[in-house]
Amino acid sequence: MSGLELTADTPVAGRRAERHMPGEEGVWVFILGDMTVFALFFAVFAWYRGVDPALFTASQQTLNAGYGLFNTCLLLTSSWFVVLAMNAARRHLNNQAALLLVLAFLCGLGFSLVKFLEYGEKIAAGLVPTTNNFYMFYYILTGLHFVHVVIGMVVVLFMAHRARRGIRGGGDMSFLEGGASYWHMVDLLWIVLFPLIYLMK
Amino acid sequence: MNKKAQLVCLWSAALMGLLVTIGWWPVAGFVPPPPPSWSAAETAAFFAANTNGIRTGLLLMLAGVGFFIPFIALISMQMRRMEHTPPVLAYTQLLGGSMSVMIILVPIMLWTTAAFRPERVDVEITQMLNDAAWLIVAMTFAPGIMQNLSIGLAVLWDKGAKRVFPRWVAYVNFWMALGFLPAGLMTYFKTGPFAWNGILAFWLPLVAFAIWFNVMFIALQKAIKEQQEA
Repeated sequence: MSGLELTADTPVAGRRAERHMPGEEGVWVFILGDMTVFALFFAVFAWYRGVDPALFTASQQTLNAGYGLFNTCLLLTSSWFVVLAMNAARRHLNNQAALLLVLAFLCGLGFSLVKFLEYGEKIAAGLVPTTNNFYMFYYILTGLHFVHVVIGMVVVLFMAHRARRGIRGGGDMSFLEGGASYWHMVDLLWIVLFPLIYLMK
Repeated sequence: MNKKAQLVCLWSAALMGLLVTIGWWPVAGFVPPPPPSWSAAETAAFFAANTNGIRTGLLLMLAGVGFFIPFIALISMQMRRMEHTPPVLAYTQLLGGSMSVMIILVPIMLWTTAAFRPERVDVEITQMLNDAAWLIVAMTFAPGIMQNLSIGLAVLWDKGAKRVFPRWVAYVNFWMALGFLPAGLMTYFKTGPFAWNGILAFWLPLVAFAIWFNVMFIALQKAIKEQQEA
């Protein structure tokens, strides 16, 4: 996979510009496109909630907000590790950057384990996507977000690999920034998703 | 000559878009889709009411979808120009695109079969043909995703001084790959946003496809022009 070189047009020297957009512009096309799709999902959820608020509130109470909160902390922590890793990478502290990215990956892994635990509990209690509209959205929204987490974990591992090798050019830094932006988006989506599904009264 | 041939391939896709849209939408009346929640009798009545419109619309779609094939070949041709990009991606795109054509052709013929004997008493046969057709055309996301991923990876790999496609085209393809995913959920639902007539399983992928199609069209148009100038 070492052939997959992600280069960017901006050289390292240009990075001191006052308004620097992290990563390449294409990453932002993806992030904005993806957030638009999620916004649509959230809007449809809110609309269905409005149709039957009693059912949604009753079903919501069976969720364990503790899991959700714990996962929020995990993702926030992993985002923080990524920020620290970016700072380390900029200062050419390669091993430190790689280690921080591996920690971010482990947070993602923790998130996944909690998700499996949570899904398992719900399924064991007979609460499945076809139970009612609330559970349909619960599984699909968190499931789609989980797909993003898994993709992000792979990206973060690639970033760790790249960081350990050291930043050699604008392309390396751009790849790290793009990956970091994606990981922050995954975090941000969860921060909207968590209150929407677990807490909104 | 090469440029002319490529432009023919490019514009053939516009013809595809035109014929498929006209056939599917106003002529056959398949948009918005007949709901999966309909009973067998309602579905059969739908085919009996507008039989000739459906037959003609499907015929237009059948004629139109063939024009997608040169467009897919054109994408692979341009992918082969990319420097350092493994050629196998161009072939993956070609196969993914061909399969996408197949999953449009098969439903067209299933609907045509349903509309062939609209007087049949056994309405459940019509319902099953219609179910199969909708599920194949709207749910089969696998070839499309492979097509998008191969294009996206190829664009990121391209190291030429003059890139064939701008890099953001890669990310539009990755986004499209994710946009296909909700379609897989229609196997579970007969009503709601994830049914085959739902906003998230049908309209979202359809709009995403329209955006992808236009992005690829413009990127290819530019690539052909730049290839000629080089």
